[in-house]
Amino acid sequence: MMSWLLILLPLLGALVVIASPARLARHLALATSLLVLGVSIAAALVFTGWGNGAYGLTAALDWLPQAGIVIQVGADSVAFILVLLTTMLMPLAILGSYTAVQVRQKEYYGWLLALLSAMLGVFLARDLILFYVCFEFTLVPMFFIIAIWGGANRGKACVKFLIYTFTGSLITLAAFLMLAWSYADAHSGVWTFAIEPLTSHAAGLAASDQAWLLLALLIGFGVKVPLFPVHTWLPLAHTEAPTAGSVLLAGVLLKLGTYGLYRFALPMCPDAVVTWAPVIAILSIVGILYGALICWVQTDVKKLVAYSSVSHLGFCVLGLFALNPMGLEGSVLYMVNHGLSTGALFFLIGMMYERYHTRDMRQISGLARVMPVWATFMVFFVLASVGLPGLNGFVSEFLCLIAAFTAGDGGAYPGVLGPWFAAFAALGMILAAMYLLIMVGKIVFGPVQTPAHGHDDNDLPVDLSVREIVVLIPLAAGCIILGVQPGIIIDSTATSIADTLAVYPPIIEQASTHVGATLDAMVMGGAP
Amino acid sequence: MSLLSMLSSSVLTAAPVPVADVHQAFDMGWAGLILWLPLLSLIACGCCAMMRCTSKLPAWITVGSLAGSFVTAMFLYLNYEPPGDVVNIVRWIDLSWVGGGFEANISFYIDSLSLLWILFVTGLGTLIAFYASEYMETDLGSGYCRFFAGVSVFLFAMSALVLADNLVLLYLGWEGVGFASYWLIGYYYTKPEAVAAAKKAFIVNRIGDLGLALAVYLCWTSFGTVQYDELVTVIESGDYARMTDDWSVAAIPWLLMLAAFGKSAQLPLYVWLPDAMEGPTPVSALIHAATMVTAGIYLLARMYPVFLLDGDHTALHVVAWVGGLTALLAATIGMAQYDIKRIMAYSTVSQLGYMFMGLGVLTTYGAAYHVFTHAFFKAALFLTCGAVMHGFAGQLDLRKLSGLRHMKGWKITSYAMLIGCLCLAGFPFTSGYFSKDAILAEAFVTHGPGFQWLGFMALFTAGLTAYYTFRVWFRVCAGPVSYEAGDDHHGDDHGHDDGHFHPHAPRFAMNSVMAIIAIGALVAAVPYFMDSGVKGGWIADMVNDSTASEGIPAVRAAADHAADHAHGSLFGYDPHVAMYWVSGGVGFIGIAIAAWLHLFRREDAVSLRRALLSRSATAWLPRAMERKWYVDEIYHALIRAPLWVGSHVLHGIDRILVDMVLVDGTAKLPRLLGRWVQPLTNGTVHASATAMAGGVALLVIVVLLILHLGVFA
Repeated sequence: MMSWLLILLPLLGALVVIASPARLARHLALATSLLVLGVSIAAALVFTGWGNGAYGLTAALDWLPQAGIVIQVGADSVAFILVLLTTMLMPLAILGSYTAVQVRQKEYYGWLLALLSAMLGVFLARDLILFYVCFEFTLVPMFFIIAIWGGANRGKACVKFLIYTFTGSLITLAAFLMLAWSYADAHSGVWTFAIEPLTSHAAGLAASDQAWLLLALLIGFGVKVPLFPVHTWLPLAHTEAPTAGSVLLAGVLLKLGTYGLYRFALPMCPDAVVTWAPVIAILSIVGILYGALICWVQTDVKKLVAYSSVSHLGFCVLGLFALNPMGLEGSVLYMVNHGLSTGALFFLIGMMYERYHTRDMRQISGLARVMPVWATFMVFFVLASVGLPGLNGFVSEFLCLIAAFTAGDGGAYPGVLGPWFAAFAALGMILAAMYLLIMVGKIVFGPVQTPAHGHDDNDLPVDLSVREIVVLIPLAAGCIILGVQPGIIIDSTATSIADTLAVYPPIIEQASTHVGATLDAMVMGGAP
Repeated sequence: MSLLSMLSSSVLTAAPVPVADVHQAFDMGWAGLILWLPLLSLIACGCCAMMRCTSKLPAWITVGSLAGSFVTAMFLYLNYEPPGDVVNIVRWIDLSWVGGGFEANISFYIDSLSLLWILFVTGLGTLIAFYASEYMETDLGSGYCRFFAGVSVFLFAMSALVLADNLVLLYLGWEGVGFASYWLIGYYYTKPEAVAAAKKAFIVNRIGDLGLALAVYLCWTSFGTVQYDELVTVIESGDYARMTDDWSVAAIPWLLMLAAFGKSAQLPLYVWLPDAMEGPTPVSALIHAATMVTAGIYLLARMYPVFLLDGDHTALHVVAWVGGLTALLAATIGMAQYDIKRIMAYSTVSQLGYMFMGLGVLTTYGAAYHVFTHAFFKAALFLTCGAVMHGFAGQLDLRKLSGLRHMKGWKITSYAMLIGCLCLAGFPFTSGYFSKDAILAEAFVTHGPGFQWLGFMALFTAGLTAYYTFRVWFRVCAGPVSYEAGDDHHGDDHGHDDGHFHPHAPRFAMNSVMAIIAIGALVAAVPYFMDSGVKGGWIADMVNDSTASEGIPAVRAAADHAADHAHGSLFGYDPHVAMYWVSGGVGFIGIAIAAWLHLFRREDAVSLRRALLSRSATAWLPRAMERKWYVDEIYHALIRAPLWVGSHVLHGIDRILVDMVLVDGTAKLPRLLGRWVQPLTNGTVHASATAMAGGVALLVIVVLLILHLGVFA
């Protein structure tokens, strides 16, 4: 019941927002999102999936049972953590838009709430139909948010965003349909779209079939993540989107990709994953280093943070495909942590942009003197992003790397990657410090310099207003709490992750010689 | 107090670590105060900043809480029984829910090595914070709060580094001190040089941190743990080739070395430390001289068992040579600088080189003792330099200052600096004399590749050290009184309105701290003679109690090995006794040359430099020394410039090749196809329907084809 409430409440709110006067739109939207947050917290309290691998908050709705279409909802602990991340970010995104969005407010807030509904639908779906519908539906509100309230280059950005991700997910849809057909074929014509039976069916397919499935899933989810080399929609979309759009893109929409990989790719095609994990890991590592190096030469702060997502999400995927509990745990933590710290960075850049109407590092410097509160938050979230131990980013990055480092089938933690993977990925740590500190050095420190047209008269104070501080405080608190007590998430998701990985040790053991050969071939350039 | 006890009470639910000979002290949660007090002070300083506090309150809060940390550390020392305790404070990264899982908690490993470090870290931290309360008073207000918040962060991180019971918490401290250093070097953040120096420090340190991170991963994969006590047990049992080949264990020392050389400013990663002098001087004294930069020595001493696993000690030989070469190189650069703070910075690099040499030649206690004495005398030197800088409006050029000891109010500064200089120069019977000799003598008697030459090189460097040290003192404190003010006119109390510059002498807080630390530098010689039945006194006793020297068969064997040689001879004498005479003599020569060139006949120094520069055969030498042997330039050409170009190329590739050609090009394909079938898209319903039917048919055909090919058969 609560799952339905979570999905439908924002939609209802969207309708209310559209129907009521424009001057109330933002307040109504905020109230709705807070209500959803409240429901999600209440749901978290009654959620039965914490600390065990089970699904909680489940419900089903027979829609077209003859065709196997039964809409099922529910979440395991990993999904529910992401639900909480989403419901927490949305009120902040709405509150953060209070002054930034001046035109067509009703539609704006309506779309945001519709987006919330779709995002929650993805995480709460237990069948492919609902999952796919919601997954695709996230594109629509985001398309309009970029297209109407975006920056100067918004036309190109929104079209590219839509077509790029839509094309990717069509291939995923094809794979889903094939999988369902294959299931029906094997079960004398009984169709289902529920995720669990399909997963166990897929895991039993031949390795070559699994490889096709993995490829199709990777194309869809890889674009979303984004994995190198299908990342180019992201810098454009992030840069052109309004602040709330960037925050939600970075905070939640990118996680749809990694969540998809976690939910479908890993359990559905274990044999193929073991074979191809090194290749995917190499793509992630290329993404980490490539994204980071490109960040270094950016002059647009927002673009810099956007490219840093390419780099950061590389760690997240690397952790997933390390195929051991440390890696998956690190990856799940990374999804949350990246949402907090990068989301906050986008907020901060938005706040700066609202005041100075530029994001060009060459035009602006020394803001610490002008906006000390803003500067404090900026430095704080940059440090969280760099992975300073004690803050959240460190724990996830550390776990992803140590997981990638672990190879072989010995001990309690098997792994399919190895030291070289981690060593190259770890170079990303140095590069992250370089580009983020250079950005801080330019815009926060140094002699004061602001654009000639100076402060705008949009009645914002010079430094942050109370509303803006209220937006940032929960994110900062999250960074500290998850940095010091990552156990909150680790303990609650442990069993889900262990269950997901349960199929892997025997496969890895069986394949270890093969993987080793593949690795050697890739590193040494010899024949496999 | 309830809050404090709540904070310090252990929130730990993790299973205790089953190690036989290290007892678990759950009742020692109060030890956590060493961490929590600086953290509280950080929060309090933040509150002060928010309340727009313009008094010295942040300083008193910081000094008070650091003193509390020191007292707690004292209690720990008094309660200490070998071999040590693991004190669990808070659960942190814990994946032990799967058998043999990864675990790294916020727990302390209290043994003599960590106690030695935490005592001088918190003690000097308190004193220097007190000194800074006066030094920073021109910045009362938000800057003052920011400064003391930074000091608190530093002490928090440094305590975590030193007390950690596992490598991950050590890593937290390691990065934390790097961050605190970034914060404080960049304190004058409107100065571009300060921002650049801060950034450089953080990034160069990150290179070292990469080594540490990889070493931690390797420890995990090879030994199956990152906790010291378990690590020692595993190494002792020899049962550690769990997953990898031999290379993984062999690689750990080299990665640790990278980390240590970054943090402790050794070749080739020393370049950040001289630039770090952009920070306020108390910071230079505390972080960049006395405490943080010794973290590298601590790390290697802590992980000494891993270094000794290799029977040939190859890694240690490299440590010794890198240390020796860094000592020499930094000393030659220090000789040619005019900025007294930079001279002290290079001398720190040089002295850290000695400490690494000590580790390399198997005298961990010598290295630790030199860390200990150096912390005092170098702090004294920096604090006196700071007093000069403070009083003369930022003047640091030794050519523009002279005869300070004859001026009113500068006596304590001058003589505290003299004591520091004597110790640094290794003047007989000062603390630096004994600690340096412990290392020098071992260099001559330990077997290693060219260690004899290393010993002579270190001896030569000791002479250079005496020279450049007294070059500063003879120039600044001795000679006739004359001075020029610097150009740093912050505040209005320098009295410029009458057209004359009046230096303002240090007052109570600075004077008392300089006096205490200078006396401490002298007294630091005493532990060497505190009888504990071991050669080397109290310090050796402390170090020998820890994993750095005992408890592990391999280490004990190596220690015996070293002991054998220590009874060997140098020029036919006991090496330590011989070294007393030799190094004392070398020190005298250095001081005498300094006295000649910089006290009695200062014009000779100028003409000597001119003579060297005028001959093309010798001109390169002073130039290279003044330009710091071009190391920064080499870095730029070899690493930064290629990366920078590469990044631009990648950015171009990303925009043009990946995005425009591949992505947009692919996107154009449908349009080309569309042209071809354009008649179908002329907008009429009929055509649309045809197109749709055709599309569906195409999809069906594709699906059937795939099915036919048996993809999912």
